[in-house]
Amino acid sequence: MNTLSSIQALGAGLPTPLANKAEPQASTVSIPAAELRELNATTSAGSCGGASETSFSNLLGNLVEGVNAKQAAASQALAGLQSGQNVPLHQTMIAVEEANLSFQLMVEVRNRLLESYQELMRMQV
Amino acid sequence: MIDLIPSLPSTTAALDAESTRLQIISQNIANANTTHNVDGRPYQRQQVVFESVLQHAQGKDGSSTTLAVPQVSRIEKDTRPGTAAYQPGHPDADANGMVQFPNVNIYEEMADMIVASRTYDANVAAFKNGRSIAMQALSIGKHG
Repeated sequence: MNTLSSIQALGAGLPTPLANKAEPQASTVSIPAAELRELNATTSAGSCGGASETSFSNLLGNLVEGVNAKQAAASQALAGLQSGQNVPLHQTMIAVEEANLSFQLMVEVRNRLLESYQELMRMQV
Repeated sequence: MIDLIPSLPSTTAALDAESTRLQIISQNIANANTTHNVDGRPYQRQQVVFESVLQHAQGKDGSSTTLAVPQVSRIEKDTRPGTAAYQPGHPDADANGMVQFPNVNIYEEMADMIVASRTYDANVAAFKNGRSIAMQALSIGKHG
């Protein structure tokens, strides 16, 4: 999975500008969702106190690892089906669909990340 | 990893259970004329019995939701008597020339098969619906 690890590396390089961007955004919009507050707390802790273990890059890394695991499960199910092991067809299809959906989720997250990065790069100083 | 498709565990379990049921029904139809089973007696019709087991899904905030997930609890033999036919030349005929045939009623099996097949379809439809919900949710972030 070379493509996945390259995206993971991309995410690892990004957290500082993103954390700076996320803080004013969250304060102005003030969405009361617990998840947003949690994310905001972890990103600000990551930017202040160095490498915290729940930083945004870790969250992203977990996402990529989860997607990778789903892809591996799907290919294992496919291999089992093709080699005549007793894997039902519907389980294989469900595993493939799950892998597909989680990959699309990861691509969407990557698109948002790149977009905010490019927006920052276009910013006038 | 998060659950992207809602209600996936129960749908998967239902598909498993229904495919086992379809397998058993096909076995019944295939053996509708088997007069000599492995135990030397005519084939006995088999039927699957479902049960639902509770599966705990742990929520993010510590709350646990309980899903009732179907599964095949046992495969039982139908003990109804089979039919007998007068076929004196048959190798399995008794002293009176009567041959015991299995208690498989082909019409009953066809009706069961239609029900099982439609239930399988319904579960596939539920899965597709869950997938399209997830796709719709993903399309929130897309531009244009």
